[in-house]
Amino acid sequence: MDLDHAAVKEEVRKKMTGETIVSMIRILVFPGALFLFVLAFFYEWVDRKFFARLQNRYGPLHTGPHGILQPIADFFKLLSKEDITPHASDKLMFILTPIFYFALPLTTLFVIPILSQTSLVAFEGDLIFVIFAFTLIIITVFLAGWSSINRFSTIGSIRAMLQMLSYEIPMGLATVGPAIVTGSLSISSIVKWQSHNFWLILLQPLGFAVFTICLLAELQFVPFDIPEAETEIVAGWRTEFSGRKLALLRLGKDLELVLASALITSLYLGGPQQFWLIPPIVAFLVKTTFAVMLLSLLRAVFARFRIDQMLSGMWKYLLPLATLQIILIQAGLGG
Amino acid sequence: MSHGSIIKVPFGPQHPALKEPENFLFEVDGEIVVDVKPRLGYNHRGIEKAFELRTYIQNIYLAERICGICSDAHTTCYTQAIEELLNVEPPPRARYIRVIIAELERIHSHALWVGIAAHEIGFDTLFMYVWRDRETVLDLFEMISGNRIHYAMNTIGGVRRDIHAAMVPKIKKGLDFLEDRLEYYLNVVQTEQTILKRTAGVGVLKPKDAVNLCAVGPTLRASGIKNDVREDDPYAAYDEVPLNVITHEGCDVLSRILVRCEEMLESIKIIRYALDGMPEGIIRVRVPMKVPEGEVVSRVEAPRGELIHYAKSNGTTKPERYKVRSPTLGNIPALCKMLLGGYVADIPIVLAGIDPCFACMDRMAFVDIKKNKEWIWTMQQLRRKYAKK
Repeated sequence: MDLDHAAVKEEVRKKMTGETIVSMIRILVFPGALFLFVLAFFYEWVDRKFFARLQNRYGPLHTGPHGILQPIADFFKLLSKEDITPHASDKLMFILTPIFYFALPLTTLFVIPILSQTSLVAFEGDLIFVIFAFTLIIITVFLAGWSSINRFSTIGSIRAMLQMLSYEIPMGLATVGPAIVTGSLSISSIVKWQSHNFWLILLQPLGFAVFTICLLAELQFVPFDIPEAETEIVAGWRTEFSGRKLALLRLGKDLELVLASALITSLYLGGPQQFWLIPPIVAFLVKTTFAVMLLSLLRAVFARFRIDQMLSGMWKYLLPLATLQIILIQAGLGG
Repeated sequence: MSHGSIIKVPFGPQHPALKEPENFLFEVDGEIVVDVKPRLGYNHRGIEKAFELRTYIQNIYLAERICGICSDAHTTCYTQAIEELLNVEPPPRARYIRVIIAELERIHSHALWVGIAAHEIGFDTLFMYVWRDRETVLDLFEMISGNRIHYAMNTIGGVRRDIHAAMVPKIKKGLDFLEDRLEYYLNVVQTEQTILKRTAGVGVLKPKDAVNLCAVGPTLRASGIKNDVREDDPYAAYDEVPLNVITHEGCDVLSRILVRCEEMLESIKIIRYALDGMPEGIIRVRVPMKVPEGEVVSRVEAPRGELIHYAKSNGTTKPERYKVRSPTLGNIPALCKMLLGGYVADIPIVLAGIDPCFACMDRMAFVDIKKNKEWIWTMQQLRRKYAKK
């Protein structure tokens, strides 16, 4: 009997190890961290190239075919550069913030369905978690700027905070739309709902527009690149960062871009869907690339707003629009 | 916002919005500018002293290098001054060629400025487009003079190169293209909402202040005051060319953009007229090396405004004293007035609004801020201080 028991135990252990290995691979390699890094670098290239072509420039050209490896080259170059910590800075915070800034979007991406219609980590309420993570990212930005004790950084971080006060509520309201229609606060359920019904962009175009504009602000893209406005406050909140820390900040920004485009895809464009024989991941990639290009297009056709103009514009126009969308949904339109 | 939160924000000498080293110390209350202290002199190159050490012919090349953008305005001003001392008149064809080059330069300088202004308000796409089209003017310069920036066209007593008949259709073709594009940009500036939001009502300079603070050029004309050396005191062939001085009443950055955009279109008309009406004949007269004793002040409407050169001759081959007053220096007091009460975010565009060219501007003077004293050292004093080190 003892022998039998040991064999069962062994079998269970083996099975467990197998499962652990599979889930480790899923988290670390595909569609987890490593895949997301590659995706982040790829979308940075898409963004840079498309933005450059819109401006009648070439964009990245030399590293790899059509410069596709340029973001990776930039990343490694920064890793090898001297890492300066200002004497007056809040050292601990200054070291920790780049890590947070990079880890937050990466963690949040695990709740977005990529490979199939269920994400790696799916639970009821992960939509709220995503919005919470977006807020945390901006708080990290604020701390990063504040801890570097630089006048440009300080102004930049105050601006980031002010900006957050204006776009966060419209963005929250825009995400409420899909949640009401699908009756779920889980992104995976929203994606599943869309595969049986319509894409939500068709039902809630207003919500989509509000959400995209808010994401531009979240990503600090023109016309909302106010916290890092180059011609006004050098590099804004990231002025003092260099070397490895800057590399992490840049990767974090790229991951944020992936997160933003993945959110647009999941909430409004139907997420990873199976079309005939094409696997869902392909649909996901095509849709997110489209979302990245939409964001690049928007950042190419505007001038930068001033912080006060942005605040009043967001409260005056975007918030009523987002509310209107919810009223329309409750009235039976849009789902 | 309380007054306890005033932060001093340095702007320059190294700053991405300033392409040249200059320092402005801003006192900022939240996002509002409450005080500005300009500190000039980071780019002093000793040009005026260098003038006194070189012959009149060599100085043409030196004058060309005062500024990289309005190089022709400086040489025109210089040669005009010396011609007046020598009492020679450049031949009519040379005067027309000077007008053509000066107006081409105005287009190139204003186009460059429109691009920079767009960049300052974060509109990089417009910046790239304008600079792409500006290449047309640079190519025309290359065809005419062989150079894109320092054309070296002027010389004392005329110009060095002729504009041949074969070049005329090419120049006109380039102008047609530019006219088309510039009208498009003028339309963009007037209709694009984000540009209007960032420039309308920003950096206001009232007409009265503009006059009192001696603003010059497009900055002055954007405050609704009709003032242009080309019309008020015609030089080269401007007395024969029909000229329409552009003014705008807005007194803000938007007006400054509009004035410059419309001036470019006006320049195109002037060049077309000058190309058609150019008289035949020689392009230069020979002048003696030695310049008779005397003093002269010469004025030119550079792209940035009124440019003044002063020369004093003692009858030798070298000037005894030379003085350059570039338009940027004239606009600095007006600039400080514009910045007060504005937003931090508006600093770059207001600063860029006067089209500053600090390298042209900086001259050597010593200022002791604590004792409120100002003085100028002679070369000997400078040598005594620094030669041994």
